[in-house]
Amino acid sequence: MLEMNLQFFSHHKGGGSTANGRNSAGRRLGAKVADGQTAKAGNIIYRQRGTKIHPGQNVGRGGDDTLFALADGVVRFERLGKKKTMVSVYPAEAAK
Amino acid sequence: MIRANFKRDTDGNIDAFELTGHADAGPYGSDIVCAAVSAVSIGTVNGIESLAGFEPEVQSDTVNGGHLTLKITEDALSGEQANIAGILLENLLLELQSIQEQYGQYLSVKTQQTA
Repeated sequence: MLEMNLQFFSHHKGGGSTANGRNSAGRRLGAKVADGQTAKAGNIIYRQRGTKIHPGQNVGRGGDDTLFALADGVVRFERLGKKKTMVSVYPAEAAK
Repeated sequence: MIRANFKRDTDGNIDAFELTGHADAGPYGSDIVCAAVSAVSIGTVNGIESLAGFEPEVQSDTVNGGHLTLKITEDALSGEQANIAGILLENLLLELQSIQEQYGQYLSVKTQQTA
C-alpha cells in the first residue's frame, strides 16, 4: 500500500532532486520446493529469471523460466557439468 | 505539469498507467492540483490492492515524488478481480480528465491503445 502523500506530485521544498529513488516490490524468486521434498505434477519448484537452475528429469520450464514438476516424486537438485545446477523429480519408487 | 499516460490492451481495458512530473500549481504544501492528482492516483493503487485483492506492479519515486507507474501483470486474475481493477482504473482516468478540464495548464492526460 502506498502512503497517501498529498504533495506527491508537488515540487519538494527547495533543494534539487535526484534521478534515483524509484523502487519496485521484490519478486519473491528462488526455490519453492527444497531438495528431498516431494512435489506433485504441476507444482512450481523454482522461480527465476534466466536459467540459474536448469530443468532435469520430469521438470518443465515455463515461459518466465519457472521450473515446475512434470510428475509426482522427490525433488533433487544436482550438478550439471562443472558449474551448472539442475533440478529433477524422481518418481517415489526410483528415489528409494 | 503532470503527464498522465494510460495504456489500453487489445481488448480496450486499461492495463497500465504512468504519472510523471510536478503540477507546479502552488508552493509545496498548498499545491491543490498536486494534492488532487496524488489523492486519486494513490487512492486507486491502494484500492486495487485492497478491493481487487491482488498486487499490481507499482513503481513510485518516494524520494522526489512525481513518478508513479502501475502495471497489471498478473495473468491469473479472476473475472471479478479484473472487473474491480478495471472500474477503479477507468474511474481514475475519468477523475484526471475532469481535473484536466479545470486545470489544464497543470495536468495532461493521454491514453494509448495497444494495436
